[in-house]
Amino acid sequence: MWLLGLVAVGVWDVLFLNRPALAQVAAGFFDTFSVAFLAVAFTLVLAWGATLALHFMDAWKNRAPYLLLTFLLNLVRSVPQVVGILFGYVGVSALVQAGVLRNSVFVFSLLALSISIFVFIEFVDLMRERIAHYQKLDFYNAMRVCGVSESRVVNFDILWKNSRIHVLNKLISVFGAAIFLQCSVDFIISVGLSTDVNSVTLPATMGSLLAKIDSKQDILAIGYSLTHPEYMGNLFFSHLQGVTVAFLIVFSLMSIYHIANGYAERHRL
Amino acid sequence: MSVERYSVSIRSGERMIVNTGSYDVSRDEVTFLFGESGIGKSMVSKAVYGLLDPDELDVTVNGRPYAEYLADPATVELRGNSFFVFQEPSSHLNPLLKISDQMNEGSLRLCKDDSDITAKLWHGADARALARVLDVFPKPYRPSGGEKQRALLAMAFKKISLLASSKAAGARTFFVFDEPTGSLDNNYRNLFLELLFEKYSQHPFTVMVITHDYSIISELYAKYRQLLPHIHLKELRRAEPPEVEVVDFSAQDYLNWLGEAPKGPGTTGAGDTVLDFGARFTVFGRKLCLFKDAARTQPANLVIRKGEMAYVKAPSGVGKTTLAKVILGLYRAQELSMSLCGLPFTARTPKKIWEKEVWGRRAGMVFQHADESLNLASSVRETFSGLPLSERMTPGRLDFVLSELFDGSPGAPFLAKKVAMLSGGQKQRLNLLRSIVLGPDLLILDEPLNGLDFVSVKKVLAILDDRRNKGAALLMISHNEEIFDHFVDPRHVYYLAECG
Repeated sequence: MWLLGLVAVGVWDVLFLNRPALAQVAAGFFDTFSVAFLAVAFTLVLAWGATLALHFMDAWKNRAPYLLLTFLLNLVRSVPQVVGILFGYVGVSALVQAGVLRNSVFVFSLLALSISIFVFIEFVDLMRERIAHYQKLDFYNAMRVCGVSESRVVNFDILWKNSRIHVLNKLISVFGAAIFLQCSVDFIISVGLSTDVNSVTLPATMGSLLAKIDSKQDILAIGYSLTHPEYMGNLFFSHLQGVTVAFLIVFSLMSIYHIANGYAERHRL
Repeated sequence: MSVERYSVSIRSGERMIVNTGSYDVSRDEVTFLFGESGIGKSMVSKAVYGLLDPDELDVTVNGRPYAEYLADPATVELRGNSFFVFQEPSSHLNPLLKISDQMNEGSLRLCKDDSDITAKLWHGADARALARVLDVFPKPYRPSGGEKQRALLAMAFKKISLLASSKAAGARTFFVFDEPTGSLDNNYRNLFLELLFEKYSQHPFTVMVITHDYSIISELYAKYRQLLPHIHLKELRRAEPPEVEVVDFSAQDYLNWLGEAPKGPGTTGAGDTVLDFGARFTVFGRKLCLFKDAARTQPANLVIRKGEMAYVKAPSGVGKTTLAKVILGLYRAQELSMSLCGLPFTARTPKKIWEKEVWGRRAGMVFQHADESLNLASSVRETFSGLPLSERMTPGRLDFVLSELFDGSPGAPFLAKKVAMLSGGQKQRLNLLRSIVLGPDLLILDEPLNGLDFVSVKKVLAILDDRRNKGAALLMISHNEEIFDHFVDPRHVYYLAECG
């Protein structure tokens, strides 16, 4: 359904949206989803790494590394996600402005990383809970006394064989959250924080497109058509850029939400 | 003797769960149904009794659709004159109603005097002692599994008493006891049998006792010989999958096998000491002692040499599994003195030492519940990966290992099968093989015969005897005293008890 919706909008836009606007929407869509995919990958790597680090450090005699890592994670946890990502974006844009970052792959990666840093901790919590659950069962001890290494039991038997459904479900949610947070932060940056940042320095995203004057007028037109229904037809021709961007954001988030829920129901999570 | 003939098929969607050929249940007689765990004994009995949900499962009984079978007046009458004691007492009891009230629900309240039943099942406990056990809610007071099981048995016997006093001639009955002694020790198991046959002798009724406990056969032959013509031993066996068949079980096979059990080389033939575990140890604040005599007067170290099989006995809940976990360093003892293959261990020995020196090498353990100790999400093949084996587990070797307890060459589909999809008996065999294949110096086996059919029991004990002959030291923990009393030299039997 999601893909069908995207294709339908794409075809409509190809037919009725002017070329420059179409190119902007396509770039915004590509950039936003690329960053979201990268954010999911970084989140998985960071979370898996932190989970293993905490798990093994917890068994060490020297408690300092475990406590230090826990403190650092809690410090990150204490920062509201949007605020943290906002600072990350400001940092990346500063690097771009200073000419340190020129390659768009690096820019995308850093943007994704700044999202992941503020999202991965709930992922760590999930993985730690799964490990703790299985450690209470005979299954864990039975494998350990058979000489199976701790690393294999945790990575393969617990996290891969018994938790990958949970992990994948969480990744779908992270993907949705990454799109949402990205759009929110882009919108904030583009609208209010700086006239220098974003349109010049950062790649075009759906959030920044939404914040542009044209799109804002398009969004206002949606409100106008509610009180003047006869204007509704113009939305799909004269205000297509803003309507498309708004639709892509809302429809994608809604679809991802339903995918995550459907997945959870199918696997009885 | 009249018989009821049944054939049952149970399907969930496309998957056939169980499909029996035609089998007979002797009317007004006692049938003991054996068979490995998960083969379908309970499901088949529930289907006949009318307890399955026709909306969830596609069931036919004697070729008839289940809804039609349930609506049949004969089935309705059968259920009215019968009782089903479920395998898991906790799931049978209502947590929001006192046990004593549940024992008087519905038609059971018509049985005014149940004192003979409670006195027998609780071994002469007085009214005050019974009230402490029965006038409680199953939650949060949490009576023990044995107490809950006896409460269920009491309900069934009340129903039997009611029928005896009001039974119309020719009425059909069907009393199903599904693993009625699973939570009871042998003493209470024998009390249950006494009561069952006492009631049966007064007024015969149709009984189906589902059990894995083959040692019940010896009890039947020792104490109820006069009733043997009315007792039928059957076994549910795997035929061509997913078919199963109910066949006669030969008591003589079991009794002869017990009589021929090898007891190992004894002390003289044994080699170096593998385990020397101090007679006293403290764990979780409880002081536990090991004794050499049943009267528990002579504390003794638990000593197992190469080629010896030792057996630790204790009533449920005393700490047999705890002892095993202390030996393997899974539980930290507050007081401990042990040497394993010459390595000394105390309460202060770090867990890392067990991890590096013991697990999977010097010692291994088969946990008692295969369902909990195997990774159910893994395949059969993956169950054997990651083990510290001396030689690589090639497909050929895996085939050989599995063929020790599984019939024939298992084949790729079986190796790829998820453990969760195996029957309880197959899981237990896999659970055993995973530890046996390691070939550790000391192998601890906690209830190794759980859920196995007789053929598997014989194979497992033959394998263990073979490993013992090759020098392995074995420590058995089991409630199945009859079998292990025959297999273990009495000099290597230990008794565990709390002390001081």
